[in-house]
Amino acid sequence: MIVRAPHVDDDGLLDVYYTARTGEVPNPRTAEHLADCHDCQARYADCARLLDVARAEGDAEADEIFNADRLRAQQLAIARRLEHVGRAARVIRFPAQFVARRMNVTGRTGLTRWVYGAAAAGLVIGVGLTALYDSEFHRLQRNRQLAATARPTTTAPAAAVATAGTGATMEAADEAFLSDLEVALERPQTPELRELDALTPHVREGLATNR
Amino acid sequence: MSNEVQTALHHGVENIDAPALRSNESAAAGVAPQRRVPVSEDSRLATEVRGLVERGALDDARDRFAALVAAHQRRASRIAYQYLRDAAEADEAVQDAFVKVFAHIGSYREAWPFEVWFTRILINGCLDRRKARARRDRWFVSGETTPGDELRAANASPPDTNPEARLLARERRARLAAAIDRLDGRQRTVFMLCHYGDCTPREVSAMTGLKESTVRVHLFRAARKLRGFLGGKS
Repeated sequence: MIVRAPHVDDDGLLDVYYTARTGEVPNPRTAEHLADCHDCQARYADCARLLDVARAEGDAEADEIFNADRLRAQQLAIARRLEHVGRAARVIRFPAQFVARRMNVTGRTGLTRWVYGAAAAGLVIGVGLTALYDSEFHRLQRNRQLAATARPTTTAPAAAVATAGTGATMEAADEAFLSDLEVALERPQTPELRELDALTPHVREGLATNR
Repeated sequence: MSNEVQTALHHGVENIDAPALRSNESAAAGVAPQRRVPVSEDSRLATEVRGLVERGALDDARDRFAALVAAHQRRASRIAYQYLRDAAEADEAVQDAFVKVFAHIGSYREAWPFEVWFTRILINGCLDRRKARARRDRWFVSGETTPGDELRAANASPPDTNPEARLLARERRARLAAAIDRLDGRQRTVFMLCHYGDCTPREVSAMTGLKESTVRVHLFRAARKLRGFLGGKS
């Protein structure tokens, strides 16, 4: 009685597939069974088709993106980068143009500093002169007042008599004007509120009543 | 990306020659190394560039290095693009990887293929970028694809295909990208390297520091999940 070898499992099929692809020798028992068994051959074909399609699709996609032009560009980029490998770091010289510009800027800063200095000096001088002028003005005014008080006082009583009558009248008129003003200010300016104000007792009236 | 893979991949450029050192140590101890990788053309070229750099002939080294760039940039761009899904970022990641390789060419050991060394550096860069992007997306409005990329992708389609075919192709690719993005970090890394980077599980093991059997487990799980996401049997 001939006992047939059991079917190859999935791992066995995959092993055959990958060993065949890399050129290695598959397990002889598996290979022998696969050569005889139609079921396993069909399963193997199914498995290999799927993996072949996956590989072909993946490779095609990558090859379409990394076409000949792109690979050439990649080679050039690698060559450029390799130029710097093994070389000491290059010290980049400071650009002369920038240095010149910086120097100009420095000159301009010096000028600005002079301007600031002159402005500060002007301010100090101005304040000093103002203080001097102020003290001189006060001194002159004081002298004038002193001179005025030192003049003869003979005209003063006559002037006082001449203004004595009108002074009281003026004071009364001023008093009346200020009183009117005070009343006017105490009352509301809005016409609608005046009647309401008339009905409302005032503090001033209350105080007068108490007195 | 899981922590284990992150730390495994983030050993950095300095530790990238660790497998070679182990191989030399075993040779010094009188034990034959388990695997002798035949020196490929690009590994020989990398060794030559290293010699030129050590002698101080940088211009010659750059000229020779250009051949390495030309040989690996398409594959590197595919891997970086599948990882980052952004053309500009993938371009920068590839450039950074080549510049880093040239700057650290002195630490290259020919016991392992140049391709393995370079891919590890590239993947480290891509992982860093993904991490930075995740950090950015936490604070800013995220954008999976930039409008520029969409436009570029639309324009990049062959002009002879009809609009319907182009639209269908875009939809298929978007589904595929979304499915790959749903894989967990370790599975995605292994799947990317094996499926798009044509690396063997042994090479991925050297790149990531994971055991070869673990790499196989992650690869198969990723492939099974992908089949499930894309409508096949999981």
